[in-house]
Amino acid sequence: MSKQDMETEPQPLTSVTFECNGEIVVHSVPPATTMLDMLRGSEKVTSARAGCRIGRCGACNVLLDDKAIPACLVMAWQMPGRRVETLEGLAGDPDFLAVKEALAAESAVQCGYCIPGFVVSLIAGLRQRRRGSNVDLAEAVAGNLCRCTGYGGLRRALGRLGLAP
Amino acid sequence: MVDKSCASTSVVTLDHNVLYDQPPGAELVRRIEGRLAYATDQAMPGLLHGAILRSAHAHARLVRVDIARARNMPGVHSVVTAEDVPGLNRFGIVVRDQPVLCEERVRYEGDAIAAVAANTREQARAALNAIEVTYEPLPLVDDAATAEQQAALHDGGNLLARETLRRGDTEQAFARCAVIVEHNYQTPRQMHAFMETEGGIAIPDDNGGVLFRVGCQSGHRDAEQLADILGLASGQVTVEAVPTGGAFGGKDELTIQPVAGILALKTGRPVMIHLDRFESSRTGMKRHPVAVTMTTGCDAQGRLLAHFVEAVLDTGAYASLGPAVLENYLDHATAPLYRIETYAVSGRLVYTNNGVCGAFRGFGGNQATFAVESQLDALAGKLGMCPVALRRINLRFTSDLGSRDQKVRWTAPPAQVLEAAAGSPLWSTPGISSSRWLTGTGMAMGAQGNGLGDGMPDSGGGRIALTRGGHIRVEFGFSDYGQNIGEAITRSVCHGLGCQQDDVEVVLGHSRGPDSGPTSASRSSVLVHGLLARILPVWRASACRQVAGLTGHPEDALSAGPGGFFHQRRRVLTYRELARNGQPEELVLDARQDFPVAPDGNQPVGRYLQLQIATVARVAVDRVTGRVRVTDLHHVTAAGRVIYPPGYLGQIEGAAVMGQGMTLTEDMPTREGHYLADNLDQYLIPTLQDAPHQRVDVLDNTPEDDPFPVRGIGELGIEAVAPAICAAIEAATGVRVRRLPVAPGDLLTALSAKEEAL
Repeated sequence: MSKQDMETEPQPLTSVTFECNGEIVVHSVPPATTMLDMLRGSEKVTSARAGCRIGRCGACNVLLDDKAIPACLVMAWQMPGRRVETLEGLAGDPDFLAVKEALAAESAVQCGYCIPGFVVSLIAGLRQRRRGSNVDLAEAVAGNLCRCTGYGGLRRALGRLGLAP
Repeated sequence: MVDKSCASTSVVTLDHNVLYDQPPGAELVRRIEGRLAYATDQAMPGLLHGAILRSAHAHARLVRVDIARARNMPGVHSVVTAEDVPGLNRFGIVVRDQPVLCEERVRYEGDAIAAVAANTREQARAALNAIEVTYEPLPLVDDAATAEQQAALHDGGNLLARETLRRGDTEQAFARCAVIVEHNYQTPRQMHAFMETEGGIAIPDDNGGVLFRVGCQSGHRDAEQLADILGLASGQVTVEAVPTGGAFGGKDELTIQPVAGILALKTGRPVMIHLDRFESSRTGMKRHPVAVTMTTGCDAQGRLLAHFVEAVLDTGAYASLGPAVLENYLDHATAPLYRIETYAVSGRLVYTNNGVCGAFRGFGGNQATFAVESQLDALAGKLGMCPVALRRINLRFTSDLGSRDQKVRWTAPPAQVLEAAAGSPLWSTPGISSSRWLTGTGMAMGAQGNGLGDGMPDSGGGRIALTRGGHIRVEFGFSDYGQNIGEAITRSVCHGLGCQQDDVEVVLGHSRGPDSGPTSASRSSVLVHGLLARILPVWRASACRQVAGLTGHPEDALSAGPGGFFHQRRRVLTYRELARNGQPEELVLDARQDFPVAPDGNQPVGRYLQLQIATVARVAVDRVTGRVRVTDLHHVTAAGRVIYPPGYLGQIEGAAVMGQGMTLTEDMPTREGHYLADNLDQYLIPTLQDAPHQRVDVLDNTPEDDPFPVRGIGELGIEAVAPAICAAIEAATGVRVRRLPVAPGDLLTALSAKEEAL
């Protein structure tokens, strides 16, 4: 947030309605509020996490109409009518279960702060595959940063998901 | 001459054969599901949000700080300045020289001046903007090389520490050298870049005390410092462990705790502070940049005779762990893997206005190893020797003394590690050159000690108990910031008792629990294993005594196993039944042990437990852009027994890629005391696409009688990566890079000059 933004008077609130994890939700927020702050502010979502707030690290990735998108880059005014999914709402999703199993089998996680973002990116990739794309899952997580693992376990997990490591 | 202890070598590759023999722990699954709440995920009723005003100047006198307008901003509960620090307005692990909130002077651009607690994060930030600060800029000290001649940043001048390690007469030895190489090396100011930036909450209690739930590395030590800052009795400050998204040394020092604590006491409400990446980059600790000149000489056969080192470490505005980093740097600069007849190794640690440096995985050691290993390659090159051959004739024997003439304990002879690496298929892969790519392979070795080291008090405690629910609860004071320590502890307990993972409950990092000392210096695994080895047999004997009383089976015919106690292979009592029907209060055992140090009496003591690694790197250098791709890293480690294979592998792989980042892209340069990068778009850490294929071979010939068969391996993987990559670049291009990170433009220029000369 720049100095100028902070010094202006509080902006009028706008009401936005969208679908989050299968529920229709209404938020009353300044229109430039990020989706990340809206989701976390609802206290129903903590799996999307702020790592950089500039769309660089992928820790806040969510599924926005089936695509993996950094929630820090989407503003409230862009949200009406959209469908958001986070790990909180994906517990029974078959692609989520496949990704979880592969990551767990490889113990591919250290601190795990970034991992929901990776999971979201991989689910998006698997959904694309279901629609006939032959997307490379390594490309799907190209925008996700992990500082702990050196990506070894992750690469082995991708192998389990059907990409030669 | 060959090290006689070099017997048969058993090397195990950490591949699918050893990785998948046990199910993943429950906590790992919760991390994947996003259900584990990290320090900055916490929420609670009445939570206020704190924000900190940072200095606009890297060095200035504070003329006036006016908070009147900020106090009246919407949603603001409290605005505090230096006057509001109830106790000691200083912190620092080694030297308490860093103000919580600056009084009359700021010394770096991350210095804190004031802080606000408000209903929302936005309100807190808006109030910061309403604080008026008048500065009078002071002369900047931004060059480490000349810092000692500049205006003093602290009483006593800008030279914080200086030390020289000597052996023999270097002057006389240099005169006998057939070959001498002298080079300058520079390593970068690397940022930890943990994915979860500094943060957490401080919660006031009803008795004037404060509970901290903040990402950290040393609950007990933090609690002591915080009590002094808050003017509280030590019993009034509690630090409770909370899952933390990475640390790597960057959360070893206090971060937001002091300010959060002050605001919590002022408002009587819980306060959350979570630095964003911009503020984290600007204020957080970094790795010490080191400029060093090394002069190294050998005889015509390649035997090392003389080694002269002069290093300058830029610690920035405050000491933090700088003096300990200098000490570890010097240990490594003596080339602790090699016999050198004489050396004089000096280092100076200076204050500047260039940010603040402190603990970072490797802790000065890997900066030194980069230069030492590069020197060995330079000597080998001058003699026309294979770098493996030069190392082979100089490696120490296990019976040799260490860098400070202390006794050391290796888990394998260094020669075995070298031979295992030289036998790697990667090492014998020839370089290929195409119109676009030049490939090459390089190797380097590194040593790493466990424990806090020279002169620092180092001990740790642990506890075991049986819970009401029938779980074997083991408790340590260590913090969990992603190093898989809980998984390793669980497995050690299962291994020691014969129970199963579900039977074990691990509790970590509570300042009211056992004090295990800081989670740093690769010391946790050593202490965990040492304590469990002592405590588990005693606990099992007490438990079996109770089981005998309850079941009537003879005590010495009972054993602990999965789910409970067994007599003649039949389970006769579950842990839960023992908890209900026995005396679980008598099954609480505490143990404490000193960290193993060299048994050398009164001489200065260096690190006793030593580990080694050899890293083989293969790179491809792009002739068009000068960029370097690391395609493969193959490590051979000699670091004791592997307790949890995926954790061990992950630590080596993760540290290695961090070392690759330091070698190729990562730096926080400063201009006039201001960092030139402030987020992950300018500060580039490796992605999956950059990560090499890695292989880790474990050489475990740990002697049966070694009392410390488990070592800490959190730092080992970073030790030899940089020199191995630079050796590979040289093999590919003929250019040796001595300034990190590798600048593609410079490499390209040097490459063109080489090619033109041909």
